Amino acid sequence: MMTNRKLPSSFRDPSGFLFFRDGFIYRQVNIIYKEDYDHLINSGLYETLVDAELLIPHDEIDIEYARSDKAYKIIKPEPIPFISYPYEWCFSQLKDAALVTVRLQRIAFDFGMSLKDCSAYNMQFRKGKPVFIDTLSFEQYREGQPWVAYRQFCQHFLAPLALMSYRDVRLNQLLRVYIDGVPLDLASLLLPVRTRFRVSLLSHIHLHAKSQEHFADKTVNISGHKMSRLSFLGLIDNLASAIKKLKWQAQGTEWADYYYEDIDYSADALQHKKQIVAEFLDKINPKVVWDLGANVGMFSRIASDKGIQTISFDIDPAAVEKNYLECVKNGETNILPLLLDFTNPSPGIGWENQERTPLLERGPADTVFALALIHHLAISNNLPLNKIADFLDRICRSLIIEFVPKSDSQVQRLLSTREDIFPDYTQRVFESEFREYFTMESSVKIRDSKRTLYLMRRRQTQIR
Amino acid sequence: MKCFRRLITTLAVLALFYLISPQKAYAYLDPGTGSYILQLIIATALGAAFAIKVYWKKIKTFFANRSSKRPREGEDDD
Repeated sequence: MMTNRKLPSSFRDPSGFLFFRDGFIYRQVNIIYKEDYDHLINSGLYETLVDAELLIPHDEIDIEYARSDKAYKIIKPEPIPFISYPYEWCFSQLKDAALVTVRLQRIAFDFGMSLKDCSAYNMQFRKGKPVFIDTLSFEQYREGQPWVAYRQFCQHFLAPLALMSYRDVRLNQLLRVYIDGVPLDLASLLLPVRTRFRVSLLSHIHLHAKSQEHFADKTVNISGHKMSRLSFLGLIDNLASAIKKLKWQAQGTEWADYYYEDIDYSADALQHKKQIVAEFLDKINPKVVWDLGANVGMFSRIASDKGIQTISFDIDPAAVEKNYLECVKNGETNILPLLLDFTNPSPGIGWENQERTPLLERGPADTVFALALIHHLAISNNLPLNKIADFLDRICRSLIIEFVPKSDSQVQRLLSTREDIFPDYTQRVFESEFREYFTMESSVKIRDSKRTLYLMRRRQTQIR
Repeated sequence: MKCFRRLITTLAVLALFYLISPQKAYAYLDPGTGSYILQLIIATALGAAFAIKVYWKKIKTFFANRSSKRPREGEDDD
């Protein structure tokens, strides 16, 4: 499926494009971008940024790989293990991506270059840190030119971060609707009045929105207007400090005390559960794990500490934030916390619904963890067990899943406010529904609890 | 830093007046036009603030170095 085709997201920039060939990703650099590319490499900027782990490294390869006669070079960038999008990032992930972007711009300026676009989609998480992936976004700085990526920076980074910080952290989901960042008039409308007393937010969001509105139907001669180097630096410096000042404190998460408050889940049970998960992992030895409903990543770390690339998904922005801050604090490189609601996973968005890949096309994972999750899907979301099995079958090759029976205190809590319309929610039905898709390799009852952990493998063996 | 903030606020308010004053129309129409014009206006003020910030840091570093050197010179004299 991925052989010899152009990436559907790579068509706007005439400087070049990305393509797949034999399972690897390549970038064609077009002749039109020759001078800028040569400057990036020869000025030492590329080396400086790669050494600082701010830009994705690449190798120049044989021009024979060219996809058209416009090619100047073909480069092979280091692959990113898992592509994620800004609407799947927590507050600090988006903030760190913004800070790396301004740092990159600041360094590029010292080498006589500037970023010509500032899309948040140009940032990806690699070894736990944001890295810039669009090697062709640099252009030579011309004296007097303003920062062409200014509007995009405000829309993709400053506006969503300000909304998350000052209004509600869930407003990052606007990025899923607006692919080119949050429209500034909308941000201005949603932000509280007190943000008008912050010079940076007044200028870069409120006045910026007014200015866009004022000039929307006007044509203006801009040829005589220049921006000095000092003004350029002042702008970048101000944007950096505006981003740094934006804060969001992860309040107690919905699930934070889950493991400790639950009387059915003693310290002994928790320890036993960890031990079983570790043993199952050793049996299957996966390269990639997706932990669904990972909370702050306690079980994800059993996998990531074994050197397994682990994506740690949760629906709760506070849990993802705490998980990410933990990764940063410990310098963890194998775990990527992401925000996701599995009852409504990221769809394909943008032109032809193909610019940003839906979550289901970014898999399958070798192994999926569905720990303490099934009762939330089946009971809180009324999802029949066969639907859950069918979905899990599509995203993994093997599954470590926990069955939580109705007698468990957590299920009792969910049922206390709703009618029990789930006569099929039993361990027997669960096993028979999952057997349709998986073979049961092992099942272990968790000590000192009513729950059971299963190790299952997909029945179908074809490569997807 | 308060006076710098006041300076920027004043310039931002001036920018607002600039925006509501009539413009000469010439070249091209684009949603980015407003962004472009605003950037030119605020960057002038931000450039000035940046220059002051950089010099202020230099002055602070200069005096910090001087004051940290003094006791060492005294120690040498002893």
